[in-house]
Amino acid sequence: MSRLKNNSCQVGKIVVFCCNYTTSVSTDTLREAGLIPENLDVKKLPCTGRIEVSALLDAFEQGAEAVFVAGCRSDECHNLSGSRRAEKRVGYTKRLLEELDIDPDRVEMFFVHRGETQPIVDAVREMTTRIAKLGQLHSI
Amino acid sequence: MVEAGRSPNIEILTSARLEALEGKPGRFTASVHQEPRFIDDDKCTACGTCTMYCPMPIVDLFNERLNITRVPHIDYAQAVPTSYYIDPRACLRINYETCNLCAQTCTAQAIDFSQKPRELSLDIGAVILAPGFGRTDLSVLAKYGYGRFLNVVTSMEFERLTCASGPTEGRLVRLSDRKPLKKIAFLQCVGSRDETCGNGYCSSVCCMYAIKEASVAKEHDPDLEIALFFMDVRTQGKGFDAARERAEEKYGLRVIRARIPRVDQVDGRLALTWTTDDGKSCSELFDMVVLSEGLNAPKDAEAIAEIAGIELNHYGFCRTLVDSPLAASRKGVYVAGAFQGPKDIPESVTQASGVAAMASELLSEVRNTQTVSLSYPEEDKAIESEGPRIGVFVCHCGSNIAGVVDVDAVRDYAGTLPDVVFSRDTLYSCSQDALKGIATKIKGNRLNRVVIAACSPRTHEPLFQETLRSIGLNAALIEMVNIRDQCSWVHSQEPEAATEKAKDLVRMAVAKARLLEPLEKTTVDVSPTALVIGGGAAGMTAALCIAEQGFECVLVERSDQLGGNLRRLVWTMDGQEASKVLDDLIKRVDGHPMVRVMLEAQVKDVSGYVGNFTSSIVKGGQPVAVDHGVIVIATGGRENRPKSYKYGRNKRVLTQLELEESLAKGKGFLKNIKNIVMIQCVGSRGEDMSHCSRLCCAQAIKNALKLKGIKPNIRIYCLYRDMRTYGFSEDLFKEARKKGVIFIRYEPDRRPEVIERDGRIKVRVFDRLLEDEIDIFACLVVLSVGIAPGDNDALARVLKTPLTPEGFFLEAHVKLRPVELASEGIYLCGLAHGPKPLDESIAQAKAAAAKAAIPLAKGQAEVASTVSRVDKAACIGCGVCESLCPFNAIRLFRVNKRRKAETITASCKGCGICASHCPTLAISMGGFTDEAIMAQIHAFAGEKCV
Repeated sequence: MSRLKNNSCQVGKIVVFCCNYTTSVSTDTLREAGLIPENLDVKKLPCTGRIEVSALLDAFEQGAEAVFVAGCRSDECHNLSGSRRAEKRVGYTKRLLEELDIDPDRVEMFFVHRGETQPIVDAVREMTTRIAKLGQLHSI
Repeated sequence: MVEAGRSPNIEILTSARLEALEGKPGRFTASVHQEPRFIDDDKCTACGTCTMYCPMPIVDLFNERLNITRVPHIDYAQAVPTSYYIDPRACLRINYETCNLCAQTCTAQAIDFSQKPRELSLDIGAVILAPGFGRTDLSVLAKYGYGRFLNVVTSMEFERLTCASGPTEGRLVRLSDRKPLKKIAFLQCVGSRDETCGNGYCSSVCCMYAIKEASVAKEHDPDLEIALFFMDVRTQGKGFDAARERAEEKYGLRVIRARIPRVDQVDGRLALTWTTDDGKSCSELFDMVVLSEGLNAPKDAEAIAEIAGIELNHYGFCRTLVDSPLAASRKGVYVAGAFQGPKDIPESVTQASGVAAMASELLSEVRNTQTVSLSYPEEDKAIESEGPRIGVFVCHCGSNIAGVVDVDAVRDYAGTLPDVVFSRDTLYSCSQDALKGIATKIKGNRLNRVVIAACSPRTHEPLFQETLRSIGLNAALIEMVNIRDQCSWVHSQEPEAATEKAKDLVRMAVAKARLLEPLEKTTVDVSPTALVIGGGAAGMTAALCIAEQGFECVLVERSDQLGGNLRRLVWTMDGQEASKVLDDLIKRVDGHPMVRVMLEAQVKDVSGYVGNFTSSIVKGGQPVAVDHGVIVIATGGRENRPKSYKYGRNKRVLTQLELEESLAKGKGFLKNIKNIVMIQCVGSRGEDMSHCSRLCCAQAIKNALKLKGIKPNIRIYCLYRDMRTYGFSEDLFKEARKKGVIFIRYEPDRRPEVIERDGRIKVRVFDRLLEDEIDIFACLVVLSVGIAPGDNDALARVLKTPLTPEGFFLEAHVKLRPVELASEGIYLCGLAHGPKPLDESIAQAKAAAAKAAIPLAKGQAEVASTVSRVDKAACIGCGVCESLCPFNAIRLFRVNKRRKAETITASCKGCGICASHCPTLAISMGGFTDEAIMAQIHAFAGEKCV
């Protein structure tokens, strides 16, 4: 795996995959208010059901210390089972990470109430604590 | 309110509801159910001991549940009646027969648990419904996170938070953690213009009150950041636009045009997301979100309607017609205020006067058969003539004054001043119990001069003068010091300096008070005739209303026929034919024995004073003298004539009224017409005139719908700045959009252009959604040209009354005295007051008629006692005073071959010009003698009073 590109950042890079409806507040606004770290990359998908295992692994390869998917609560998904599909793929990625000797806690699935920003911010915090506990992945 | 409480002819029944209404107009029987207060208002001194001892906390409903109070309480210190009451829901004594603490501690023995609900049967002549408005449903507020997020508050709650006597004593804090606020957002149209909650109408008042609340908040804390989210900015009231622009500039309020769909919370801060006109998505965090909740129909509207036997409209408000806006569907039942439709204070007050006139019309035959009049005790000349014994009362005004000025220090200081024998502070001097207290203190200490250091004498002096009169002292023996406006408000950031200034002002007032002398109050007989100037809808309505109340009326119209602007109108907003309304009015005016119509006549000169005016009316070149007691100005306005948009140069550019007139002539007019462009705010709001003309938006939509009705495939584009279809006209706006009328908003700095090329017209406008200029080919361009004031200058000069900068007549007080002029006996209605639609003009005309009928009905008018007096011995007869008096109130005549000046007391307005110009100081002003003013000035310099 390649080295983390931006070593100067205190918190390692976190990549979030979420669906278009998860949050309406822009990441810039949240970042300015200090609610999320600088080094957070939010990738919006039409639906989290679209996520593929390769994309999650790719995020790690691109330097992520942790990756999570924030999907709609299972009863709220526009596409009925999109977020449940994502959950399955996150589970599969966890197993793959284990095989690669990487802590499976570095990838996670979160179900969040649609349109609410608090759960996302909480998820980011959760992942940040996990990284702090697990140590750096990319600094070999 | 206090005034209503003091009137001997108004009986106030609290906690009461109407149960049944039987009978016919003039002879109703109303059954009223009244819940007990459990505290006798006659005995209660409002001391507050019961609240202090009650062990049961309950939420304070008056303070929007933001505070805790106790079972026995008073909503606020100025409440009328100024008596505490017991909320039976949580009372231990009432529910469990225990406790009884309050009754034991009440020294006045006012608490009476044996009170039972009362069933009253009242014989009445007319019914006025004024139940106000209902509140926005919680489910609507919940959509914006209200109830879930503590810092999402309603505008009513915010109002309490900004109030000095409110739950936080005026400190602006987040409700979640009581930390200071930094950034606030106001969301408009919550529960208004929202079909999802069934409220399709516009609540009319929220835009302006949000601006007001934002301004007040900025006054509290200049560092606050405030954003207001509007759909349209609807500040259409008289002077409102100017006030809004001032506030935006002075306080740096951010105005954002977007409707926020929901509120999100992150770490206790509130996140708002919106999209701008050009499609950009924005989000920001705020500390507090204020929901500008709209006005609903009252909660029990249906019950009221059933009991009173009246109809409601589809939103649950009382149904009225454009030509009779104050009459409910049952005869003898009238409606005023927000129950008739959402409206602001000036319109509510106007309607209130209007319904009083309606009731007075109905009951004019039995006037004064059941009233009692207030009598005052004989003046105690003995006390008055003693040397000055001054009492000083310093008011806290809650924390309005006391929050800044050290009231105790001012009180103690006042006690050290010469001739001051008594000084005392009061929480609210104007509350009923405080007035009682002041009266007892004056009597008990044999005070004969009183200084009240409180708020403005303009609003409150009469109240304190009444108090003096009620205990046998002359009303002129009082001096007011305005330590609220002049100290705590303007110097709110410098409490110590404010306190020093308050002391200075009190010292000056005491110096003046030492020299105050009693003044005689005189009354004059009123000649029982009214002069109504202007024969339009407002003038005719006012004249008829006065006549129906039993007084003669002279209606003067400049042109050769009655009708004014109503003659040009074709349809009213509710679809009636305007000509029918007009014909009906003219028929009633012509047929009324008490109305004398003078056509082609003009008022050239007016002299006299309330009760005794004499006007010279020129008719056919011949002046006619008319004696009358009061004047109603209903001179109207006129359609503005713009110079822009090729108006007057291209015959296909019309005004809305011209379009209406053409449409009335028949469908042929629309042959070959496919595209129509309407342009709003031509002339209004900055082009030719600074004011908003209030009615053009609704008028344009009314005409657009008419066009669509005649020719459904006609294309109509409406270019606007803010669509101000306030109130129920919003329904028509919605209908127009449904029928395919296209609305394009433009900014004032990029106004549309009318371009002529090869005989065709196109209108070029910058479309903010497309971010590009578009050209619309138009077969017709229709301009909303707005209402310009009539030629008011000449009449204003004759009547010596001021005009607004826009050229309309200026009322005595925008909110509280909207149909009276500052000069007594002169009243105002219709377009002469400001632009307004027909129904509002009619309501206002009724209101002016109500006010005008007061001196006529009393038969006597009191003359102000602050008048000039000439010392004949000192007068040298130079005549300077006579030449300078703006009211012709001072005349020279010969006494023993010498010329001497004399004041015509009833004409004198007390301006003091004569006194200040008299070379021999022979003229002095009642209440403002030279000696008293000099003493005041000396006191300012800190010298010992002379």
